[in-house]
Amino acid sequence: MSNVTNTASRSGALRFALTMILALVVSVSLTQISSAAHTPPVNGIVVGVETDDAGALIRFAVADSSGTIHTFTIFNGTEYGLENQAGDRWVSMQEEDPSEAARRLRDHRERFAPITVTSENGTAFSVVEREEGKLETNLGYLFAVFAITWALFFAYVLYLGRKQRVLQHEIARLEGLSGK
Amino acid sequence: MNKILDLLDPLLILSATFMGVALYLIFIWVPTETNQGAVQRILYFHVPVAWGSMLGIFVVSGSSFMYLLKKNEKWDRLAVASAEVGLIFGGIMLLSGMIWARPVWAVWWTGEAKLTTALILFFIYVAYLMFRAYFPPGAQRQRLAAIIGVIGAIDTPIIYFAANLWSQAHPPLITGPAADSDSALGSDLGTVLLISTLAFSFVFIFMVQARYKIRKSEDDVVELKRSSSASAMTGVN
Repeated sequence: MSNVTNTASRSGALRFALTMILALVVSVSLTQISSAAHTPPVNGIVVGVETDDAGALIRFAVADSSGTIHTFTIFNGTEYGLENQAGDRWVSMQEEDPSEAARRLRDHRERFAPITVTSENGTAFSVVEREEGKLETNLGYLFAVFAITWALFFAYVLYLGRKQRVLQHEIARLEGLSGK
Repeated sequence: MNKILDLLDPLLILSATFMGVALYLIFIWVPTETNQGAVQRILYFHVPVAWGSMLGIFVVSGSSFMYLLKKNEKWDRLAVASAEVGLIFGGIMLLSGMIWARPVWAVWWTGEAKLTTALILFFIYVAYLMFRAYFPPGAQRQRLAAIIGVIGAIDTPIIYFAANLWSQAHPPLITGPAADSDSALGSDLGTVLLISTLAFSFVFIFMVQARYKIRKSEDDVVELKRSSSASAMTGVN
């Protein structure tokens, strides 16, 4: 009797444990799916391209405007829409021409041409020419240029003004000495 | 001695008027560029100061050449004044370029041709002024400085054509003889850039004029010292 009870309680505990594991797995998966669905596209410039021995693209890294580096892996379905310097657009998928993808990204890296990457969990789904600019930000950089320009101009004019005063004194002193 | 900051100086009035109009156009009138956003407005500072720094080395070179030809002090004064102001403009050109590069290229600096030749121009100014500061005064200093000034101008066309000759990250030319025929000039951008360039050019001329006057006063002081010591010697004899 006690054996039957023990077996039943063990089986209940096992079921409970399995249910908990399943719930955990489902909730983690749902969280990942929901976060992946909300992963915003990354805009930035290519800072690293990694290829295999055959020259096929494996991974690449993008730096966004805040300097953060994002690394993306590739899969066969990764789509590309990249332009060369003349503006001709190359549209393809990773499985069609993996080495051309690497070449195009290296070209973008050399030209500092910005790209937009949509991804899920670090896997790039599409890699295209930059699609959006940040209109509302970057004012700090503009202010910095404005402030530096005028600070240097005014500092130089003040320096000239001080120099002029010293010279006026010197000329008055020397004219006094020579009795003019 | 004339005051260098005379508020009724026509050049100062002209500079202030053009600068006021340029600032209104840059910050209020011209539409925001769609790709880069507000940071693209740095163009209206960066290009005019770059133009000023190149104008500076041309004036240094031209007046140095005239000094070598005529041996007239006024050309030497003009070269020094232009070199100092050109150094200020060159420094602003480099700083504004670096600040602009950070948000759009994600780096402060790259070793590409346009940037490197612009940095060389800055060092040419530094070398010219350091040579004048540390070489013993006299005709030989002025002659050698003039030769440095003439050679220094060789860098200017290289900077101008660098973006087209070695096309890398820096955008291609939008003004001047080597620019694309379908460049942005003629649009809103071109109008603002033109007025901003004029405004900074007047500021450049005003500063050179002020520095020239001071250089003239420095020469006067040297002359007065020489004559007072000569008259003291005569009194002793």
